[in-house]
Amino acid sequence: MKKFLKPIEPLLDKGLNTAESFIHTHRKVNFFFGAVFEAFDGLIRNPKETAQSPPFIRHNYDVKRFMGAVLVALVCGWVLPAIYLYGWQCVVPKLIVSFVAGVFIADFLWVIIAREEHIAEGGFVTCLFIPAILPPQAPLWLIGLGAALAIIFRNILGGVGNNLVNPALFSRLFLTICFPAFLVTGYQMPLIGTQGIHTVPQGLDAVTHATPFTAFKTSGEVASYLSLLLGTATGSLGETCRLALILSGLWLIKVKVANWRVPVSYLGSVFIFSVFFSLILGKAVAPPFFQLLSGGLILGAFFMATDPITTTYNQTAKWIFGAGCGFITVLIRDFTTLPEGVMYAILLMNLLAIPIQSLMVKIRYRL
Amino acid sequence: MKKETMGFKGGFHLLDAYPLPFCTIIDEISSDGAPEQFQFPVTGQKIEHVIVNLCPTEPWALPNWVILKHKTAAFLSMLKEIKTSYFSDARFHLAINEKEDRAVEDAVNFARAEDWIKVIPLCAKYPQDDPVILAQVLLGMDVSFGQDIKSLGILIVDAQTVSAMYEQGIMRKDVNSRYVVLSGTGLRENEIIRAELGTSVEKILKNKVKDASTCRVFMNGPLRGKEISDFSQKIDWSVNNIVVFEEKSRKVLFPMFKADELAFTTSLLGELRRCVYCNFCDDICPVDLEPALYYHSYIRGEKHKARLYNMGKCIECGLCSFICPSKLELLKIIRECKALDKHE
Repeated sequence: MKKFLKPIEPLLDKGLNTAESFIHTHRKVNFFFGAVFEAFDGLIRNPKETAQSPPFIRHNYDVKRFMGAVLVALVCGWVLPAIYLYGWQCVVPKLIVSFVAGVFIADFLWVIIAREEHIAEGGFVTCLFIPAILPPQAPLWLIGLGAALAIIFRNILGGVGNNLVNPALFSRLFLTICFPAFLVTGYQMPLIGTQGIHTVPQGLDAVTHATPFTAFKTSGEVASYLSLLLGTATGSLGETCRLALILSGLWLIKVKVANWRVPVSYLGSVFIFSVFFSLILGKAVAPPFFQLLSGGLILGAFFMATDPITTTYNQTAKWIFGAGCGFITVLIRDFTTLPEGVMYAILLMNLLAIPIQSLMVKIRYRL
Repeated sequence: MKKETMGFKGGFHLLDAYPLPFCTIIDEISSDGAPEQFQFPVTGQKIEHVIVNLCPTEPWALPNWVILKHKTAAFLSMLKEIKTSYFSDARFHLAINEKEDRAVEDAVNFARAEDWIKVIPLCAKYPQDDPVILAQVLLGMDVSFGQDIKSLGILIVDAQTVSAMYEQGIMRKDVNSRYVVLSGTGLRENEIIRAELGTSVEKILKNKVKDASTCRVFMNGPLRGKEISDFSQKIDWSVNNIVVFEEKSRKVLFPMFKADELAFTTSLLGELRRCVYCNFCDDICPVDLEPALYYHSYIRGEKHKARLYNMGKCIECGLCSFICPSKLELLKIIRECKALDKHE
């Protein structure tokens, strides 16, 4: 790779420098294409800033690598298994639509209108979540709308670093309210006949099936744990293959992108509270291991709840955050008619993270 | 004596991250005028604890083998003579890098027969050799940053100072030169030189720098040291090393394949972003602070509030700014907020 790049390097560098100076000298070009160029330039070139105040040496780790690690984990965690389970015809068009609508349309337009934000790799993470948390047979326009909504919502709150709640989940909440029909149906059985490419844009196909949790709520039937773990049970596109999600989640924890406290406390509290309610109410509520392995819990615990921006900064408060997520998830699953509670739990705790954080700071520093 | 693992939470293994090879060639550089003399570090205060620091944690600092020459026992008998002549009622604590097995073994064997010295093998992660951390880990004493530790009866000396004390105090010889480590990407070669005290930096770096126009020079390391712009400045005993970095103030193509080229320069190695609450700064902080809180108070304009979060404990090691993936100037913010404290 290095050898291959060497001959084109001086040429590319010169070309980029010329383009940069051209863009900066022409105001109208800068207005429309400045941000696009900046984003592209930022991807392949190191910025020229140097340390002007001590320490004069900096670690070779930046937000790009941080977000890159999340992207790698997501691709291994859900994109590859989903391609195997549902066929590439189902996954690839959704990804393309999500990226085009989210990053290349919503983010670019926002940068041109608002001029404050930079186009950054955070948008790719959000847009990679959108198809994962929607049903496999969701129509493409729904995916595009979701991605655009997520990016616009995130940018309105001030971009990466300022968002109050997870933008992908907020967008799913919005879609759940506006288009409930698409979110309660469209759960296709995996490995049963891939969609033909011509049926992809319309979404809804013939063979649909209730998700394991809906099936439990209507008939009390518990899906086999092995099928839940390996992804042969129904569910949203990205949440079915729990084994891959757990492995890539553990890798994220190992490279210290995800904080281990959140998944441990989230999954732990789901287990504890479901054991507690099972002991009291018996068969009326879902058994603990079924709770752990069904729905979006694994995806939510390893990838969504650990999003560092929307959790608390304080490390002790992360335990409370995770435990709160688990408690709300179990409450919604066991005592409401909603089929799944992970999204509501994480969104609610994202908002509650702010008072938890200030409370922990007050306790810790005795203010 | 069992191997104790003492230490602190956080910190960073700089020695592993930036392995610097040194050749053994040692230049002698003499000053232009009359060289200055080494000042014996004790001036009348009563010293209860002497900490001998054989645990340099920065790769650009003077390695132990230059002074010890792999003869730890000889060094320790030198130390014994200093103790009997000058610090007869002080306790000695020998902080030694646990990875240097032979030196640790020699020291432990030596200390078995002596009751005045205690050998403590330490993990050489930065900032283990900071006075505040050393006093806390070795003596269990709370020292605040910037406090005069000699007034507390603690003397911290490194290997080179011990050997100078021996030569001046016991052998009655003049000590007017010291080892200075020259390293960095701006130099042709990493070197250890012996320079007379009072030599100017300009003279030391003569013919050693690659390109003088794109270099920045730091005294005592890029993390804790100062940048020097006046090269006629003379070196004194406190100068342990001089680091010269290339200033990469141009855009570099494909940084992901050029980690080694960029790593040891002043480059920020990333874009300035907002805080993403990644918890890297409080994981690495050696004194258990939460530096991002200072940043958030600072950008809200509440500098006074930042001081409430235990800011006095900060030892200004610079690790939070070093590790920050958003490349925030946390140390600068901390210093600014601390300065506010002094004005009142």
